[in-house]
Amino acid sequence: MTVPDMLRISLGNMWRMKLRASLTVAGVTIAIAAFVSMISFGAGNQQNIERQYNDLGLFTTMYVYPKDKSNGVDTIVHPKLDKQALTRFAKISGVNLVYPYDAFSIKIKFGDSIITSRAQSISSEAIQTKLYSRINTGKTFDSDSSKQIIISSEVVKQLGIAVPDSVIGKKVIAYVHVSQIDSGLAHILVDKGESLLDRIKKIHFDSLLNSRYRAKVIRSEVNSVIRRFLNGFMNAQEKLTDTLVVCGVRDVVRSGRMKIEPVIIPIATAERFRSNGFSQNPVEIFSAMSSGTFLKESDDINGFSYSQVTLDLDSHTPYQSIKDTIEHLGYKTFSFAEQFKEIQKFFFYFDIGLGIIGLIALITASLGIVNTMVMSIIERKREIGILKSLGAYERDIGILFLFESGMIGLIGTTLGIFVGWTITRIISMVAQSYMRDQGIPDMQLFALPVWLILISLAVGIGVSVLAGFYPAARASRIDPVEALRND
Amino acid sequence: MEMKSTSWLKARNLSRSYRRGSSEVRALDDVSVSVERGEYISIVGSSGSGKTTLLNLLSGLDSPTSGTVEFQGTALQLMTKRELALYRAKKVGMVFQSFNLIPQFTALQNVEIALYFNGTNAKERRRQSQAILEQLGLSDRVTHKPADLSGGEQQRVALARAIVKKPEILFADEPTGNLDYENAQQIASLINNLNKENYTIILVTHNIELAKKNSNRIIKMQYGKIAEGDGAKGEGSMQI
Ligand SMILES: Nc1ncnc2c1ncn2[C@@H]1O[C@H](COP(=O)(O)OP(=O)(O)OP(=O)(O)O)[C@@H](O)[C@H]1O
Ligand SMILES: [Mg+2]
Repeated sequence: MTVPDMLRISLGNMWRMKLRASLTVAGVTIAIAAFVSMISFGAGNQQNIERQYNDLGLFTTMYVYPKDKSNGVDTIVHPKLDKQALTRFAKISGVNLVYPYDAFSIKIKFGDSIITSRAQSISSEAIQTKLYSRINTGKTFDSDSSKQIIISSEVVKQLGIAVPDSVIGKKVIAYVHVSQIDSGLAHILVDKGESLLDRIKKIHFDSLLNSRYRAKVIRSEVNSVIRRFLNGFMNAQEKLTDTLVVCGVRDVVRSGRMKIEPVIIPIATAERFRSNGFSQNPVEIFSAMSSGTFLKESDDINGFSYSQVTLDLDSHTPYQSIKDTIEHLGYKTFSFAEQFKEIQKFFFYFDIGLGIIGLIALITASLGIVNTMVMSIIERKREIGILKSLGAYERDIGILFLFESGMIGLIGTTLGIFVGWTITRIISMVAQSYMRDQGIPDMQLFALPVWLILISLAVGIGVSVLAGFYPAARASRIDPVEALRND
Repeated sequence: MEMKSTSWLKARNLSRSYRRGSSEVRALDDVSVSVERGEYISIVGSSGSGKTTLLNLLSGLDSPTSGTVEFQGTALQLMTKRELALYRAKKVGMVFQSFNLIPQFTALQNVEIALYFNGTNAKERRRQSQAILEQLGLSDRVTHKPADLSGGEQQRVALARAIVKKPEILFADEPTGNLDYENAQQIASLINNLNKENYTIILVTHNIELAKKNSNRIIKMQYGKIAEGDGAKGEGSMQI
């Protein structure tokens, strides 16, 4: 028997039993629709994450951190994340670009509104990486030293600007406060026009041998230092301002480990703030104090160490080797590619979990197939007898029945995929209109990748054929003599 | 009795018992028949005498409790199930009292199906089936389903299905039993013609007149045994 023959017999038979066949097919359709829509949800989320990772170039982004300061009396000194370290990372093959994460608080004045935000400085090279280059309106910096600024859409809103386009090319004033502690320290050196050197000159060094004079000088100097420090600390007014032109507005990106500040300033432009000592994270100051690096030996910029460095990697070099190299140098790393592997693993199990629920529905539907097929055997006993009298081999009959249950599976699965897809479309439409109201950017909640279609077909048809085995075996064993008797 | 070992189709000491609950029914009891090529044998006998049982054993549709059937020297009992299926697919044509057409198929499809199992390709199946239906005067009925055909037409379709594969032997079990006189005559003469074309025919009938008129030999069965007439050609042709 050829496939078209079997097709004709089984379709003819299903047509004859329209109602029963369609109910059986409906069982498979519902089960597959549930299977498809559930896994489609998992797949949709996975695709969203993957798309976001791709858009931001996270697969080729790695963060490097210094190792935690060892607690207590531990003598191990972990390497600093300083300029030298950056140069070393840049030499590792597969590393395209190395740039530090360098953030400070800032005030932005536009027209009458002033807001406080956080800024980070970035080189014009780093701004070209996928992570930063996604500008919503406008463009990125022209150079490291251009007097330009990129702000997030959130900052635009905070400044009371309705249309982001309108802010491009406009001037804003950036204020950066010098930290209070730094200001306090500055006052120790120079206070009210009198420098420390002037005071030292006033001391009678010859008389220092006299203990009473020495005590008086020390007392007076210590008092003076404390007074100067407090004076500077309390009255810190040092403020650096700069007029910058808004060149671009970017979307707010929030995602776990990723740190992108709402305001981005070219590195050389921001350096002016840095050389005057902008305020750091208080936690960093205290850890610097405890590790004895608060007052640096030199004013050399190389002495400064960063809390985080970003590496932009070559997509062809496996991240693991780069990660190993850097960890070998004594740093901590964080790789988004590695994180994505974990996410994928999660979704794999998530999909399997959903798939099992769908499979249970499918097994229920397959009992319907068994029932239909067994009923069909009883009704088609004579037909089977005729086929056998015409020379059908037992296996021909078996295959015919398997083919028929496979047909139920095929039709049910095909409809099921379509129905499942329709369900996800409807849910998606409802959810998206809701999300739009909430201001959440558009995204696909569901995905119907080719692998899902193929797996659904395989599972749907596979389970249906499996369900046909028992009826097929029974059909093939029907005694033709018995079947053809006239009584 | 003496039987020629050269017989074309030969049944030796065939018995077939059926279990019916605790009792056993002997449908066929130690029957031996031999058939020569081109013979036209009629089997007669009262209801329940074992005519259908004998036909089923000779056609390989059923297997005997004891005894053997040999076709061209090969015992059917020694064949595998597959070989037996092929024997039915290639050598044997069968016609039944109740036509036994597949209701959801057209006349043409019902005939074509006989060629499914002997390796004929789809194109040939169509051509041969159309030709045979035409030969039996059914060329304007090819697309009809059995339900839309008269009894006589249905039996002619069934006859077409039986002979489309050009079988060695045609078994017909009361083919005119469900037909009126005219249609019965038509079927009988068609079978007669087939015998003239050198088909071997084994026919079960209640119509003794017809049997006498057409067949070379009549076998009468009673209680699962051959009552009159028997194996060898010529020697057992009985007069009723
Ligand atoms: N499958 C079966 N199970 C039990 N008994 C059976 C079976 N097939 C036939 N028989 C019995 O065997 C005997 C012979 O049956 P068979 O059908 O061969 O008779 P027949 O001569 O063809 O009768 P009819 O003229 O009514 O067709 C009958 O008593 C019948 O009841
Ligand atoms: Mg009978």
